[in-house]
Amino acid sequence: MSISVKLDRVLLERGMSLTELSERVGVTIANLSILKTGKAKAIRFSTLEAICKELDCQPGDILFFDEKD
Amino acid sequence: MRAIGKGSLASILAAGLHVTRIILWIAFIGLAIAMIMVPFAVGIMSAVDGATNLSIDGNVAVDAEDYINIGHNFVTFAVMLFVVDRLLEILKTLRFGSPFVRENADRFRGVGFALLIGEGAKFAFGFLSLVTDTDVDINSQFITWLAIISVFVLAEVFSEGARMKEEQDLTV
Repeated sequence: MSISVKLDRVLLERGMSLTELSERVGVTIANLSILKTGKAKAIRFSTLEAICKELDCQPGDILFFDEKD
Repeated sequence: MRAIGKGSLASILAAGLHVTRIILWIAFIGLAIAMIMVPFAVGIMSAVDGATNLSIDGNVAVDAEDYINIGHNFVTFAVMLFVVDRLLEILKTLRFGSPFVRENADRFRGVGFALLIGEGAKFAFGFLSLVTDTDVDINSQFITWLAIISVFVLAEVFSEGARMKEEQDLTV
């Protein structure tokens, strides 16, 4: 897929673990792992909103479009 | 009454199909034995006749008609067994989990191809019957072709359903 997720990078910058983010946004670790590893087929606006709110970032900081992929 | 889950219509249907499968297996094994024994039918009859001193009247000669009939029934039972087996697998997923899995689409496709082979065999045996000038009653019905098309459509529905389920499962 040409959309890639850079959640791990933002998490590293914020010094937050996946477990902590999971607790804060109310999304299971399993689902966040799917997102982090790029296996996700879609992301809900509500999930994206919650992640951006907790990580204090923009959707563009997490999602990237790469035409080559 | 519920359609799926434990104690549902699907469970009753599965129980019925299990019984049907046993009956079909018995018939299938019987036919397999008959296929092997038919060439020796005359010899067996003569041996029985000699051993028991019973006079067996009637025509015991095996002709092309018998072979065609046995062959046709053999293929029919094999197809039925395969279809019942696939349906049981599909019902299992219906009772114990989600039916929208790729395996079920493949199973429906398999059923479609099996029915198609069954109909093809009918034509082949019908042709054999014509060639050998025997009177074997083999006819293809419109409803069977309708069922074959429906099964293939159903396979595509399940394939699409499985794709949607996968997408839903991978939506965060």
